[in-house]
Amino acid sequence: MAKHLINIINPFLDKKGGLMPALHAIQDHLGFISKDNIGELAIAFNCSQAEVIDVITFYDDFRLKAIGKNIIKICQAEACQSQNCKELLRNLTSHFGLEINETSDDSNITLKEVFCLGNCAIGPSVMINDMVIGEATIEKVVNQLKVITAEE
Amino acid sequence: MTEAIKIFIPNETSANSVGANLLHQIINKINNDESIKIIRNGSWGAFWLEPFIEIEKDGVRQGVSYRNIDLSHLNTIEEFFLDFESRNPFDINDIDFIKKQNRIVFSRIGNEDPLNIEYYKNTNGYQSLSTAFEIGPQKTINLIKESGLTGRGGAAFPTGIKMQTVFDQDSSLKYLACNADEGDGGTFSDRLIMESDPFALIEGMTIAAYAVGASKGYIYLRSEYPLAKDYLLKAINIASDNHYLGNNIQGSDFNFEIELRIGAGSYVCGEETAMMESIEGRRGLVRSKPPIPAITGLFKKPTLINNVVTLATIPPLLLKDQSNFSKIGSNKSVGTMPFQLSGNIKNGGLIETKFDITLNEIVEDFGSGTQSGEPIHAIQIGGPLGIYLSSTMLNTSLTIESLQELKGSVGHGGIIVFDNSVNMAEQAKFAMEFCVKESCGKCTPCRIGSVRGVEIIERLQKHKTSKEDAILLHDLCETLESTSLCAMGGMTPNPIRSIIKFFPNELIEK
Repeated sequence: MAKHLINIINPFLDKKGGLMPALHAIQDHLGFISKDNIGELAIAFNCSQAEVIDVITFYDDFRLKAIGKNIIKICQAEACQSQNCKELLRNLTSHFGLEINETSDDSNITLKEVFCLGNCAIGPSVMINDMVIGEATIEKVVNQLKVITAEE
Repeated sequence: MTEAIKIFIPNETSANSVGANLLHQIINKINNDESIKIIRNGSWGAFWLEPFIEIEKDGVRQGVSYRNIDLSHLNTIEEFFLDFESRNPFDINDIDFIKKQNRIVFSRIGNEDPLNIEYYKNTNGYQSLSTAFEIGPQKTINLIKESGLTGRGGAAFPTGIKMQTVFDQDSSLKYLACNADEGDGGTFSDRLIMESDPFALIEGMTIAAYAVGASKGYIYLRSEYPLAKDYLLKAINIASDNHYLGNNIQGSDFNFEIELRIGAGSYVCGEETAMMESIEGRRGLVRSKPPIPAITGLFKKPTLINNVVTLATIPPLLLKDQSNFSKIGSNKSVGTMPFQLSGNIKNGGLIETKFDITLNEIVEDFGSGTQSGEPIHAIQIGGPLGIYLSSTMLNTSLTIESLQELKGSVGHGGIIVFDNSVNMAEQAKFAMEFCVKESCGKCTPCRIGSVRGVEIIERLQKHKTSKEDAILLHDLCETLESTSLCAMGGMTPNPIRSIIKFFPNELIEK
């Protein structure tokens, strides 16, 4: 097994039900879960590769290929619906020229939809990486993305 | 000597979403005076005011809403004080939105740095754990039973009875699982506790674990709440350092540890059996009950499962001067409920109050009507599986009983306001679409029925008068309700039926 992977998943091997936290850790470090990782995880957690794939494919957060450096999640749940989030989604997809779950050619951003960020009193809400934007507009999202890109 | 000046700038998701972090950076940068203390407090839950910055000076604390106000031109802290004074600062406790509440569980939020354990202890914190240690597990459970507390996660099951069942199991290993997978659209009360008063949850968990005999607790937190994760991890460490977690807690022979588990974007994992599957490291497939988790739960051991607010309500119940909780309300609707007012609303936020309050009081007296200024058309209560009420039903009381009569539920306390631009047929379709997306797939009616539901509603959107489709939708709802294992499939019909009933001609025309 690749040495770096063992270092990443080591803290979770003795934990009951450690596969989920291990998958999170791999994504935090490597961005996505590769085919090689699946085989290695199956050995490490003493289960079949099918079981590992089972878990990965059930949850929206886990992914089998690389996505953008910045993930933009547009809330489409009820409270944001009352604040025209569908229109915001249409505007953002057309502004970036991307569909939901698509990644830009330069791998800078991926657009996703999400159902509730818990920011429901001041929607519509958009989350860029770990940061939530309230009363979101296309300008606010674009500006925040500029700030993040400038910091890099 | 005058007391040091304190500046409070909240560090909480909603406040940060409208610029609190940015304002903190600016004010922190221009503050060269060491006697001025900048504190990142929690939010008061009056979100329309955020970022709400407060200054405490000579024992007087006042605040100003800095929504959409840029301070990047300021050069000195004196300039900030002048700016602050010019904006008519006021005491947040003087506004009706806060004054009219009955804050028992949320009594601390907003006041201080949520990680200030000394503040927590000075405001009755950890007194209840001492009480529990004094009176022992059974008497602790008795107090919770007598309080009338029911689960605030959605199902409203009597908390004390659940605890008794776990307590009665003869097992050397028992678990506590805190459900922090707050996935209902329009809800944020759990998030607010975790971000703005995390020790309240930790103390509640510790008391509950002591009472039922659990030695290990999990918090299953949704991945959409990164700031709550941050606060919980820090609070767990501080509690451990102060011997409120770990072995021999506060010199007793009770050992208890908490592990934080992060979800991965699945709504159905907020269903308790799917949550257990997820904690065990599998797909979040719902389990059939029985066996109930209190008997055979996590890793096949007896497990107490409660949501965040329920657990955070336990410490106040054990305080000598807080037996008042049970005097509020009647029948199942005892104590306070944190309603979360959101959507198209002028003054949205967290409202802890008795259950027996009308929708009109919540939406008009607290919320001041729609944000758009247009008339209210619909209000959804209790999350994606909750019913829609029309604007003619604003006299409805929000008790568990009165919503049950309308074939709905208080659920987790979310109240979402829609103005007259809403399309109710679209809302009905969304209920089915959400079920398509979030169904775990175990039950056929939920997995496939929801897809058929979307198709039928799409046809009805074109031909509202189709008797055939109206009957088909009715039958489908009945099938979903009576044959699904969990509430996901079982309650998806609720919003749709409410739209058919309370919004005549908007989905189906007779």
